[in-house]
Amino acid sequence: MPTLPPSVRVLERGWLSSNSVLLIGADATALVDTGYATHAAQTVDLVRHALAGRALDRIVNTHLHSDHCGGNAALHAAYGCRIAIPAADCATVAAWDEDALSFRATAQQCPRFAFDESVAPGQRLCLGDLDWQALAAPGHDPHALLLWCEGEGILISGDALWHNGFGVVFPELVGEPGFDDVRATLDLIATLDARVVIPGHGAPFADVADALQRAYGRLDMLAADPIRNAQNAVKVLMKFLLLERRRIPLADVDLLCATVPLLVRVRERFLNSTSAELAAWLVQGLVGVGAARLDGDVLVDA
Amino acid sequence: MSPVTGLCEGCLRTIDEIVAWSRADDDYKRAVWGEIRRREEQIPFD
Repeated sequence: MPTLPPSVRVLERGWLSSNSVLLIGADATALVDTGYATHAAQTVDLVRHALAGRALDRIVNTHLHSDHCGGNAALHAAYGCRIAIPAADCATVAAWDEDALSFRATAQQCPRFAFDESVAPGQRLCLGDLDWQALAAPGHDPHALLLWCEGEGILISGDALWHNGFGVVFPELVGEPGFDDVRATLDLIATLDARVVIPGHGAPFADVADALQRAYGRLDMLAADPIRNAQNAVKVLMKFLLLERRRIPLADVDLLCATVPLLVRVRERFLNSTSAELAAWLVQGLVGVGAARLDGDVLVDA
Repeated sequence: MSPVTGLCEGCLRTIDEIVAWSRADDDYKRAVWGEIRRREEQIPFD
């Protein structure tokens, strides 16, 4: 297991909530990413416990997907902490533009929050008494940031690099380029020669070169076959909804395939299937890999 | 978190265990996994 400095604490949970990274400095505390909305009370409990009586001063988000910023509002309510978001998302968040934010398109929840600071690529931040630099990490999300601590060789990668792969390449799903951005972001990560990566999901890891190799392999596979990227994306989206709801009647799986805006767009653009056909394919696929099971007419998270 | 058991309803760990997890050694994690398996036996799932 890679070692981290005492000021860095990773709160690792399941895949519905991203990891949160607590950075505890002598004078200031910060949390990178805040998990999913339905876990917000637990996030506040975890942070309160880990801070042992100190206040949380600042939140920094790597990107604004619901599983990374869903606890922003609750933590702000608990601590009045400052919230720092990627600069490119500021106008969208200020207006809380539901069409530009991803929450409506994915039928995911995220309570509204306001921001106090913007973070632009290249900008330096002091978090947990360590010097971090924000770096652009487009691909999974066009505005996503990496946080790189050169002094300690620690990279907070969000969903740009996981131990096994990376997050869904969302821009490609709506006809915007994304694969080249994923490649550029992986190339950038490769130049950093990080000692430890703290990913957005899963445990921190030190075998970064191997992870990059897996990520490049996956990218090549998805870029060669965008339908596969689309199929993977709809499975991930439905699994996420299942993680949140735990049980979804089969009729509602069909309804979700017919009404969740991103599922409808992907279905029409890539999959050429009816909502019923997609629902049946998803149920079979999720049950087939053990990500769900059937309880009569209800799809149950597994 | 379950108000009854004090456990995360997803991973069946306590707040203490989740906070300690990322810095814990493998022995600690194996011990917690043992506890999780024991807790699974005791918790009725719907």
